[in-house]
Amino acid sequence: MIEPEFQKLLGSSDPDPGCDDSGELMDEYCELVLRGEELPHRYTAFLTHITNCTACREDTESLLAVLREQEKTSRG
Amino acid sequence: MSSIVCAARIGAVSKRLSHDMNTATLDRESAEWLCDLQGNGGAREQAIARLHALLLRVARGVASRRRETLPDRAIEDVDDLCVQAVNDAVMAVLAKLDTYRGAARFTTWACKFAIVETSSRLRRHAWRQRKVELDDTIWDRLPDAAAPILQRLENDQLIVALHRAIDDHLTERQRLIFQSVAMDDVPIDVLAERLETSRGAIYKTLHDARANLRRALIEAGHGERVS
Repeated sequence: MIEPEFQKLLGSSDPDPGCDDSGELMDEYCELVLRGEELPHRYTAFLTHITNCTACREDTESLLAVLREQEKTSRG
Repeated sequence: MSSIVCAARIGAVSKRLSHDMNTATLDRESAEWLCDLQGNGGAREQAIARLHALLLRVARGVASRRRETLPDRAIEDVDDLCVQAVNDAVMAVLAKLDTYRGAARFTTWACKFAIVETSSRLRRHAWRQRKVELDDTIWDRLPDAAAPILQRLENDQLIVALHRAIDDHLTERQRLIFQSVAMDDVPIDVLAERLETSRGAIYKTLHDARANLRRALIEAGHGERVS
């Protein structure tokens, strides 16, 4: 089993589509997460990418935070 | 644009996207945004202004959440930076309207541009006065000044093997990018700006470097720790 710190250093060896292709899925992914839906198989590589890439992970987390905020505002 | 014409266009936009995506009909609000932004005259101008205002709120929210990552000297420029990021994000949204397929709501799709643009600028801004260079002393620093990742790694044998693999199996550019991003926590956008390339290109080099290192470490007998 890969050690956690080495995982961070070397990333996952699973298929990783890179920043550009993952960016295309970021908005869909965030809406699925927000709706609590099960993620289709095609998001596996996206998830690998945001594990491997700090910037894309932070951007995805930011978009999720924005959507949660918008949802709260529209409810409140 | 009259409401009848707009309603007809919203229907057409929605139908086109449903056809393109082979999915359910586009939600009404997204279709309205598209209709307004693809139209002409005053309605389009108003829609652009609404989009700018929406994305500016998003950018300011992102900046507020990232405030603690910014040095004090950088705080006062943050609002200007948000406005510049949103100006660019609005341009990008307008330029890519034809690529919107309705997989997410239009506003979610548009917010993505503002977030990527704002975060990237904030990361670069935070690093504005810091150097990025290939630093061979990274392996020899005293523990309290060591790269964060080396402080956490406890297996000395593995660290030695990693050092050797970096020296023997990476090109100079791969070494710079791997050491900066993976070991010294330099944001990928900062490196992209300094090396005059894109985030995607830096990531590709990092990905290739990591693959080379994994292979080298497995060949050196550390397979159980890295795969």
